[in-house]
Amino acid sequence: MTEKKAAVGGAKNWLLRIRQASTFNIFLILLGMCVILALLAGGKFLSVSNITSVVRQFSFYAIMSIGMVLVILTGGIDLSVGSVFAFSGIITCMGIMRWGVPVFPAVLLGILAGAAFGLLNGLCITKLQLPPFIATLGTMSIARGVSYGITGGYPIGGLPDSFKFIGLGSILDVPTPIIWMVVLALLFSVFLRRTIRGRWVYAIGGNEEAARISGVKVNQTKIIVYVLCGMMAAIAGIATAARLGVGQSTAGVGYEMDAIAGVIIGGASVSGGYGNIIGPILGAAIMGVLRNGLVLLNVSAYWQQAVIGVVIIVAVSFDKLQHDRRSSLRKTR
Amino acid sequence: MRKLLSLVLVTLMVLSLVPALAQENITIAVVPKSLDNAIFLDAKTAAEAVGKELGITVQWEGSTTSDAAQQVNVIESLIERQVDGILISCNDADALKDVIDRAVDAGIQVGVFDSDSPNSKRAFYAGTDNYAIGKLSAEYMMEYLPEGGKVAILTGVLGAPNLEMRITGFKETLAAANSPIEVLPVQTGQDDVQKSVEVVNQYTAANPDLAGWFFDGGWPYFADPDAMPELKAFMEKGGRIVSIDTFYPMGQFFPLGMVDVLIGQDYFAMGRIGVETLYKLIKGEEVDLGVSDDTVKNYIDTGYEVVTLENYEEVWKTKSPW
Repeated sequence: MTEKKAAVGGAKNWLLRIRQASTFNIFLILLGMCVILALLAGGKFLSVSNITSVVRQFSFYAIMSIGMVLVILTGGIDLSVGSVFAFSGIITCMGIMRWGVPVFPAVLLGILAGAAFGLLNGLCITKLQLPPFIATLGTMSIARGVSYGITGGYPIGGLPDSFKFIGLGSILDVPTPIIWMVVLALLFSVFLRRTIRGRWVYAIGGNEEAARISGVKVNQTKIIVYVLCGMMAAIAGIATAARLGVGQSTAGVGYEMDAIAGVIIGGASVSGGYGNIIGPILGAAIMGVLRNGLVLLNVSAYWQQAVIGVVIIVAVSFDKLQHDRRSSLRKTR
Repeated sequence: MRKLLSLVLVTLMVLSLVPALAQENITIAVVPKSLDNAIFLDAKTAAEAVGKELGITVQWEGSTTSDAAQQVNVIESLIERQVDGILISCNDADALKDVIDRAVDAGIQVGVFDSDSPNSKRAFYAGTDNYAIGKLSAEYMMEYLPEGGKVAILTGVLGAPNLEMRITGFKETLAAANSPIEVLPVQTGQDDVQKSVEVVNQYTAANPDLAGWFFDGGWPYFADPDAMPELKAFMEKGGRIVSIDTFYPMGQFFPLGMVDVLIGQDYFAMGRIGVETLYKLIKGEEVDLGVSDDTVKNYIDTGYEVVTLENYEEVWKTKSPW
């Protein structure tokens, strides 16, 4: 088998990699779900407006998952994204409504706020040597508390249309959240695969000590991925506030679980070192299509939560089986 | 093998574009603030009963938590499903406005119950006159505390339109009467029973000179009486409590001396009137859309009931346990 792989030329190698990639499995799962839904709900599922609606709905989660996969690739985790989601939205909304900041700078301010919490996470994990789970659990509380504190718990409404465009508008008939998702996906795909820093992210997750010894700037890279994760949570939170026309300190509760689920369903390894950008987007898509499908099929709302859990377990098991089969095959050669 | 699988799947998907049989039945979706809040169940019961009478399909949909963004997603799916009518209790007036307008533009009849989005294109709002019950609560409180004193307010999710109206009614009535009552900063239990119990216990313990509580929603009374020793002690010392809502589990607090007056809403009426009115709108029949003034358009008052220790047993005979 090794001789065959070595002998294959450039283009064929690329095709081979796609077929072997577990990402293709996940895409198959998504396709299978879409087919089942299309058969059961017909034109209601496959209509342009429904597909657009579903993609727009999961694009917010997908953006958070893009940030989360960077952290998970290094073997870490970020539980604070749901709170940072709310906090950044609040900062931007306060900027526009209370501090007289114009829309664009206010958005940048919100993203900066997300980056700040990411920096806090990164410093706690590298300088204070706190386990990521604990550190981000702490910042999750801090961000949520500060959101409540500065707003008194009240929502900030009445936002201008120019701001709402970020979440409600469309460019060439494509809703803006989808555009942000695609742009960010492309950016980070390039980052992970074509930059040295991107390769370092994988190296840290694969074997941190080995990476450190071979000259990878481990601490610096870790801080960078947490900052990026915070910024992604901020973008998703600001876009959601724009879509609703109101900034809420209660927004995003529990969204960290959706972000993590999207990454795991998307095939990344929880212990780090394995994964890509397409995976989390497919993972978010699977959950989005699932939620949409259950409502379209009139599944009792109370059971939807249970069904989502079952499908997640099935999807991850399917991928794990394929993964184990591939690695055991490789071992026998 | 995998290539074949993908080919089969894509072919099946293309074939499925053959349109499904058209649905004759009228469908109305009822969307509460969240599925984890038991207070909406009366509305559910009434809505489904009316649905059976009229021979239409009534579907209970919603987000699992009181999350405005998720509620918007649910409404979007309903628009795709092309339901005929939507009856919704809004988590946030601003957040739901856009999607309600989109539903109306898509030809769906939309009515609101319990919690309004007044600037949206909804056809009507069926609910309690929240300002009036806030006012009535203040009147009772003034009767109980003629000398004045410190009164605390417990609310649910901050910024919820219906709750805000009750607080405004309460505060403005006290101000207009120049009452010596001092209203303390609003406390929140976030619509959650456990949090509400905690907040009430802690705040009461922290303020020994507290004279009264106004609960603008009945959350503390959905818990077990033993969970609120502070409240019991408070009442025994002469504290007074006025609370909104008259759900079944709340009745037991009367004989325990842990509440003075309950002002209840009629969720049965909200569900019934909501679905009936939507049905008439869908059928194009003549329908009463309530009253309009400069504060609200098309408001249908579903009324309220006042319960004290004197009449609570009688009133509770008409209620069923949860």
